[in-house]
Amino acid sequence: MLKKLIERNNITIHGSGSKSMFLVHGYGCDQNMWRFITPEFKNDYKVILIDLVGSGKSDEEAYDLDKYSSLEGYASDVIEICDALNLKDVCIVGHSVSAIIGALAAVKRPALFKKLIMIGPSPRYINDDNYFGGFSQNDIDDLMETLDANYLGWSSAMAPVIMGNADRPELAAELEDSFCQNNPRIARHFAKVTFLGDNRSDLHKLTTDTLIIQSKMDAIASIKVGQFVHENIANSKLVVLETTGHCPHLSAPSQTVEVMKQYLT
Amino acid sequence: MNNKIDYKELYNSLPSGYFCSLPNGTIIDSNNKFIEHTGYTREELIDKKKFVDFLSLGEQIYFENVYSLALKLNGTIEEINFNFIKKDGTKLPVLVNSVEVKDKEGVHLFTQSVVFNISQRKKYEQELLIAKRKANDLSDELINVNNELLSQTELILKQKLQLEEFNQHLENKNRQLSSFAHIASHNLRAPVSNLLTLSDFYKESTDIEDKAMLFSKVEIVIDHLNETLNELIESVKIQGNKDITHDPITFESVFDKTLVILGAQILDSKAVVTSNFSEIPKIEYPKLYMESIMLNLLSNSIRYRSPDRIAKIHFCTEINNNEIILIVKDNGLGIDLKKHGHKLFGLNNTFHRHPDSKGVGLFMTKIQIETIGGSITVESEVDKGTTFKIILKKNM
Repeated sequence: MLKKLIERNNITIHGSGSKSMFLVHGYGCDQNMWRFITPEFKNDYKVILIDLVGSGKSDEEAYDLDKYSSLEGYASDVIEICDALNLKDVCIVGHSVSAIIGALAAVKRPALFKKLIMIGPSPRYINDDNYFGGFSQNDIDDLMETLDANYLGWSSAMAPVIMGNADRPELAAELEDSFCQNNPRIARHFAKVTFLGDNRSDLHKLTTDTLIIQSKMDAIASIKVGQFVHENIANSKLVVLETTGHCPHLSAPSQTVEVMKQYLT
Repeated sequence: MNNKIDYKELYNSLPSGYFCSLPNGTIIDSNNKFIEHTGYTREELIDKKKFVDFLSLGEQIYFENVYSLALKLNGTIEEINFNFIKKDGTKLPVLVNSVEVKDKEGVHLFTQSVVFNISQRKKYEQELLIAKRKANDLSDELINVNNELLSQTELILKQKLQLEEFNQHLENKNRQLSSFAHIASHNLRAPVSNLLTLSDFYKESTDIEDKAMLFSKVEIVIDHLNETLNELIESVKIQGNKDITHDPITFESVFDKTLVILGAQILDSKAVVTSNFSEIPKIEYPKLYMESIMLNLLSNSIRYRSPDRIAKIHFCTEINNNEIILIVKDNGLGIDLKKHGHKLFGLNNTFHRHPDSKGVGLFMTKIQIETIGGSITVESEVDKGTTFKIILKKNM
């Protein structure tokens, strides 16, 4: 069972601390995005990294369109892995869409998680009458076009039309060393699920202690969105970093780590 | 000339756009081609604009979630397609290659990016993209159609099996019907010809006692004829809506009835007919079939008796390997099996120039036996006699 999950989610475990920290990457990348964070915690924590199914080196075959047509599918994977590894009092850290995946997991199994750290979360990207998410439907359509345009080069090689995903290991090997390369068809589906989804109503079901780390300048999840998340989670704390961009853990790792450590002690 | 290359001039006249930006994205230098691409002036651009300022919101998601991350993690990224929004609002499709420049400690100092105009190529690419999407849709459709076909094939296979089963059933019915038709004609023909013979005897006889004896025989045959008729009527009713029924019968009773039906022929031929059913006296078998089988075989043996000796015909049963076997042995003309063996049980085959030969009896007998799951074999020697062995059925 565990062996199957390790293959499915490319689970890697770092450090040997007594406490557990479970890091989940966001849309578009893989567990490599935690490279500056993991070393800072692996003395005190057993740090668990995964690739979401369909991302990084996860098992693409396990990408079930139905299961992953909502974030609940990913949340159930997280719980499944925690159980298989026999984790307790887990501190779960999720970036962007995985901040919501973490929240869904904690709503489903509150007893499993001690802390939730959300980096750049957004429960809803598209604006509506009384809500500012930052984007319109047109913007998301635009994103889809950008995705298509940027997979044109290698999609025909990686996912040959008609034949489906042909078994061509030499191509996979070529991509071995590059990060954040994902199967275009999956990336497209995952983008739709991520950017067209609406998980606002799930936030107030959350009872876990939560830290929200927000970049001051974030084009994807603006401060307004960060505040909305904070206001809708009962036991939450919002910290705004003096940083630019959606990935402070990559662009400003030391500040991010500092805030995390402060919160956890 | 060689030692006087003006790199600044070369850089500015480069046929592709180039810019240099800080880790926060602010553009701190660019060549003229890039400035031309954006439509801004150098003053409006340098230190004022960021990379993302040229991108739509949708592209910014891609920039933040994919481009920046991949650049950060790999140190370089190539061939990323964006649509730069120019100052006048029009869009310029470009390909961007970027590389992070770091100091000795690995601290990210700035990012260098090259920007290629791909307007013409993009139009073609768009066409390809549409074609690819169509191909993908078509592929999905084909997969669906294929699955549909597979499930239909499965259905057809199931129906085929059902049809085969039904066909088998019909074949059985058909066999029953042919067999019935045969029984109807033969079982009636034998007693009728018996009656005709008796009536000839009656006319020829002058002795009153003989006449009385013959008349009583006629009465018995008429009774049997009536009984046979009733059975046939019953069996029509039964066979119309049911498979063949197996009745508990004793060989002796069917045999006795056969002797009566063929009484005139036996009398006429002076044949000695004996039986011994002590080994297996009973069987569950369609009564009409058993009557027909015995009638056929006995009349066969009488018909093909040798003119040179008294005909001896013996019926008996035995059990072998759990199979109930009926044996009919005579000392008649015999059949040359080498010559006729292969068509012995064929339809309308006769082996004797005999006035009564119709060539139907053995064929129908075989059909009836096989319908019940049995088989018939024959041993014969010319001018010595013939033995029929009939495996009727397994003894359950």
